Amino acid sequence: MIVKASVAGAIGVALGLWASRAILADGGPFGVVAIGPWRVAAKAGSLDADPYTRAGLERSGEIPLALGEGLQLVARVDDARRPLDARCSYRVGSRTPAARYWTLSVVDREGFPVENAAGRYGFRSSEILREADGGFSIFVSASAHAGNWLPIGAPDPFALVLRLYDSPLSATAGGIEKGAAPSIVREGCA
Amino acid sequence: MNAREGLGGAAIFLAAVVIVGALVHFIVILVIPIVATRDAYARLQELGPAGVTIALARPSPTERRFPYADPALASAFCRFDLSAGPVRVKAPVGRAGFASLSFHTRRGAVFYALTDKAATHGLMEAVIVTPSQLRTLVAHDDEDNPSQDLRIVSAANEGFVLMRAFSELPNLYAAAEAQAKSLSCASEPAPK
Repeated sequence: MIVKASVAGAIGVALGLWASRAILADGGPFGVVAIGPWRVAAKAGSLDADPYTRAGLERSGEIPLALGEGLQLVARVDDARRPLDARCSYRVGSRTPAARYWTLSVVDREGFPVENAAGRYGFRSSEILREADGGFSIFVSASAHAGNWLPIGAPDPFALVLRLYDSPLSATAGGIEKGAAPSIVREGCA
Repeated sequence: MNAREGLGGAAIFLAAVVIVGALVHFIVILVIPIVATRDAYARLQELGPAGVTIALARPSPTERRFPYADPALASAFCRFDLSAGPVRVKAPVGRAGFASLSFHTRRGAVFYALTDKAATHGLMEAVIVTPSQLRTLVAHDDEDNPSQDLRIVSAANEGFVLMRAFSELPNLYAAAEAQAKSLSCASEPAPK
């Protein structure tokens, strides 16, 4: 009986620790707003963040943007919900939600820039080539591409991070329409 | 032992595993932010003392201290301690581009933020006070000549201020870095 109880206890502890780790690695189940393929931790920087968001921030060490500063959108999948694959090339565009400035960058699984030969980790809204109608296309691929080319440095899983600075939408992440966020279209795979 | 008893035993065993697992999980989630050995504040502490403005290295593949930081932004921080008195924070606003100040608790949550749009005379300025310092300051305020200070109340004595400065173009990053570094956090005498 005692043996059985301690075995149950040990398995329970292991299960609890494993579940905590897995859930935190995934970013936590609450307070995440989905906009197409993008995810926003709407309350990451605020005082009333849920315990999962808080614990996740503690582990990662991230300093979140405040609601008044801007908004950070993270995509780990494309428009068709396929995980972003370093062997494929993607076109991101052609509009973003309203913001004074925005940046788009490639990060690794832990949220850090990925080393690449071009030394380019992201694009700013103030430096990209635009089309005549003000729209844009950023090409995310391992091999060089004409136009706004954002290189994927390593053959590992990656994520795209879109940051909107001084956006009127900051306080209302739920208010961003799906069509307002840029689409992520897979163009082909090597 | 017949088959039925064995089944009941297995169900109790499973229930025990699930209950212990759930309990451990919730305790871990709630305890992590309290222990806080790896949070942003702990990482900032490694970089230098309180009251001093310290520039953060530009995010890069080798600079792996703060994830999800933007390589287009330069940032600098200072940790504050209000036990000796209020702390006055000043940050000049650059020519073009976005700049912001965010005020974080010891636990990393933001309790106030302002951007360069809120700057007056090219300066973002605020005074961080404790609730009791605020009461004393307000009691001493001159009614005819009210204080122009933006007072921000921090529930705890300790926290940090982060300055972010945006570079519009890659070659403007050095200017953004210089702007972020010009953040100043000066302790003021405690109001009596």
